[in-house]
Amino acid sequence: MAFNFNWSPLTADASFYTRAQELLTAALNKSPKPPIIVDDILVNELNLGSVPPDLEILEIGDLAEDRFRGIFKMCYTGDAFLTLKTRVQANPLNTYLSTKPSFASPQPLAASSGLTIPIQITLSEIKLSAFIILVFSKQKGLTLVFRNDPLESLKVSSTFDAIPFVREYLQKEIEGQLRTLLMDEVPVIIHRLSQRLWLPDYREKEGQELARNLQDPTTEEKPVDPLASPPQDPVDVSGNILDASQIAALSLDSSSEMHALFSQKNLLRLGALTDSHRTLSLFTPGIRDVVFRAWAGPTERGEMLGSSGKATPATPAMTRSHSYTGSFSTTYVFSDAPDAGNHSTRPTLMSLGSATSGLSHASSKHGKPHGGRKRKHRVVNLRKKTADGDDLDSISGESSTASGTMSSAPSVFGGRPQTPARREDELITPPSTPDLLREQKEPGDGTLTRTRGLTTRLPQRDESADITPRASVHGAFMEASHVGPQPEEGKRPTLRPSQTLQYPLKERREQASPATLQGPARQLSPSPFAESPVEGILGQAWMTRMASEIARKVQDQEAAKSGFWDHNEGEDLPPPAYGA
Amino acid sequence: MLGFMDYVQNAFYEASHWNRDNSYGTLTATSRNILDFQTPDGIRLHVSSLASPNFATSYTLGSVGLVDGSLSYLYSSLPLTAYASKSSAIDLHRVVPGYRQLQDLRQPDEPRWWEIWHQGKRVDRREALLYGRLFLPRSTLEALYLRRLTPKAQLRVSCVSDSRLPNGGTILAHLQYDAAKHNTEYIYSTDSALLGVRGLYNFGPEPPLVEQPFEQSPDPTISTANEAVALATAPAPVRPNGRFSAGGEIYYGLLNKSGGISTGLRFTTLPAHTGFPYTMTLTLNPLMGNLSSTYSVLASPLLALSSRFDFNVYSYESELQVGTELWRRKSRPMPDDLDWARRKLGLPLLEQSLAKVDDADDMAGCLKARLDQRGSLGLLWEGRVKELLYSCGLTLDLKSAQNMVRGFGLEVQYSS
Repeated sequence: MAFNFNWSPLTADASFYTRAQELLTAALNKSPKPPIIVDDILVNELNLGSVPPDLEILEIGDLAEDRFRGIFKMCYTGDAFLTLKTRVQANPLNTYLSTKPSFASPQPLAASSGLTIPIQITLSEIKLSAFIILVFSKQKGLTLVFRNDPLESLKVSSTFDAIPFVREYLQKEIEGQLRTLLMDEVPVIIHRLSQRLWLPDYREKEGQELARNLQDPTTEEKPVDPLASPPQDPVDVSGNILDASQIAALSLDSSSEMHALFSQKNLLRLGALTDSHRTLSLFTPGIRDVVFRAWAGPTERGEMLGSSGKATPATPAMTRSHSYTGSFSTTYVFSDAPDAGNHSTRPTLMSLGSATSGLSHASSKHGKPHGGRKRKHRVVNLRKKTADGDDLDSISGESSTASGTMSSAPSVFGGRPQTPARREDELITPPSTPDLLREQKEPGDGTLTRTRGLTTRLPQRDESADITPRASVHGAFMEASHVGPQPEEGKRPTLRPSQTLQYPLKERREQASPATLQGPARQLSPSPFAESPVEGILGQAWMTRMASEIARKVQDQEAAKSGFWDHNEGEDLPPPAYGA
Repeated sequence: MLGFMDYVQNAFYEASHWNRDNSYGTLTATSRNILDFQTPDGIRLHVSSLASPNFATSYTLGSVGLVDGSLSYLYSSLPLTAYASKSSAIDLHRVVPGYRQLQDLRQPDEPRWWEIWHQGKRVDRREALLYGRLFLPRSTLEALYLRRLTPKAQLRVSCVSDSRLPNGGTILAHLQYDAAKHNTEYIYSTDSALLGVRGLYNFGPEPPLVEQPFEQSPDPTISTANEAVALATAPAPVRPNGRFSAGGEIYYGLLNKSGGISTGLRFTTLPAHTGFPYTMTLTLNPLMGNLSSTYSVLASPLLALSSRFDFNVYSYESELQVGTELWRRKSRPMPDDLDWARRKLGLPLLEQSLAKVDDADDMAGCLKARLDQRGSLGLLWEGRVKELLYSCGLTLDLKSAQNMVRGFGLEVQYSS
């Protein structure tokens, strides 16, 4: 860990000096003044000098994002100086007698009459040596306490240097006063100053040394924030497209607000969508930048077995046929789904493979009319996602499942834990190049391949179908990509900044490189193009598009990296699906 | 209001024929009494007693936030019977210092007058006063040793012991020589080894020698020859109307190498003055450029006025203070004016009208007020209720809108 103590910005800030002077003035006049000083003490000039104090870290007792406690050893022999203005009693007899009990005072008649003189005192060559206990808390500001008497020596020069008594007296008095000031008042001053700096303006805080210390931990935790990984073409509530920089700013500021922004409207639509599936209504709400993908495959069957009694046993066949044709399977992928964390219900959705199946099944039934339309637009969106890599895919899977899950699928959870092993198997099987990957991402293709794979295994699946909604390759994807060796269902759904994403993060990063992209590719069927010529054409078009997308993305990433690496990293993360 | 112990000390001065007013330190006593009076703070209760003519005790209980108090004892080798010690009988003028009317100077006693011989041996001793006071919660001890060394000299040693003071305390030795016409004082304080010299010179004719107290013949109608001669040769006493005094003081601290100096002038009227009494003083501190002039006047037996103007020639700071002292006679049933009618009618006069007179100077109380240019107003009402002497003070700051009352206090004193 590195500590960066910055001395010059503190001293360069003009407003800092005025504030410090005000506070010092108040502090100096608060404590009872020695009798020689007969007026308020004004801080005329304050300069912290250019020589920073030597700090030695003795102990760090507590270190967290929002608090810090440590003990320092400080030595200061700098060129700071302080000029005070006040009025003093020039008659030594007067001050001498004022401190004596009147009973034993000679009680001079007029020899002790006062003469007040304005005086300017300069404190320089301040030598400090102290142990400092520093406590920082985001809420309470900075507290600094001297453990011992910090003042080693000090030079007091004043208007009365010619008079030895006055000089000695001033030296003695001011040293004493300064000691109490350092021990009692300076902590208060610093505390107030820190509060002023901290509270109104968060940025300044970071400029301070302490905040700097704390920055490392904060940045590490930031990627966990779902908003730090915005979708490719994010949308705000009004449907305006935001660019990455805006998103970054937004997600930095307050994630909770963003959640609210994204979720509400889309959730309503999602609800309408799921309802439409349930009721078989022909109306499906248009969701911007979203592709709803209906998987035709054993998953659905399994799902249906598990959850929805509606599904007919015949469906698998139907879906299969659809998938073979590849054209008409409707897939809804929610490309902009940042607010996964919002919905506590998510866990149930997770099992989704199954849920989707139900959905997709339904959609496939009446999906044809939509199909063509969707292809034109939404498919493209899907590609955008995939550009990122498998994450996106997984997201789409998630999201789709989410939509589906609204309706169903609690039982699936039980089966989940077993799935990872099988998925891993799948992962191993198909080796492929990044290029392939991209092409495969084409919607029709993807579905086809997957379904194919599924179909081949169908017989086996059927056995386990009740337990695992395996059919959905997406589920596998997600598991593989999101979760570490042992995917935990419970964690996944939350997608909260906390723990779940930590591990996946690393994987994500790796995936960002082309090599990692292969991972998803493997899962896809080895030969995407073999399926149909139509898809080949589409794929080419899509490829070109993807190439441009990827290029753009790399640029973005690099740009982002320079400033904000955590944000960049966040992009690798799967955009959180809509929680349902 | 003077404490009982101060009252007793003053009684000792008078009993030992020491003139307190003939000192440079009391050059401005009049204006100080009227302008610089102390207002009590909080509630304070004094219970005192002159248990024997030589021994006095006093207990004080005060409450300013927390309760504190003091015990004090006083021993005087001179029997102090001249003054009443009961609070019901104490003359208010003696405990409420106001305008100080200086008396004619008088020559100090001849040393031999103090000699007491018994069976061929001199047995007289120097009169002394011992006083100690212990402040309880603070554990501060004050001690005073006062000794009349000779008829012209007095030694006063005062000590304070307090753990919070540097060196744990301080001792002040004060040696005074009073030769009526001039007065010198020497001061030494252990605190920073402060040395001081004060002197006062009274212009004007030498005060007349006090007649030898003759052995009075038991029969007043027969005068001794001595007396006859004295009466015959005594010049008609010339009583001056006023007195002009000049003095100065100088201090030097040996340890801190700092000092102070001041000079002063005073003109005051003496009892022989036919007009209203007044006092003027001018003091100058040449080192600090401080000039202070006062003018006090006793406009009537019940009213005294005083003003003071301070000016600093270096800093041009000035200050003006005015003060007044207003006495109120004890309200008594006015002797009705019908005595003449009773006489004419041959009726006996009423008892009370016969009894009136003697304590005509008995005062019910005194109001002191002072005001300075900074708007600070001090009020003090001192008086007697039944057997109790009380002193009630209030300090106001007229210039601050809020928090005008700066201090309020009540002091009650009982002595027997």
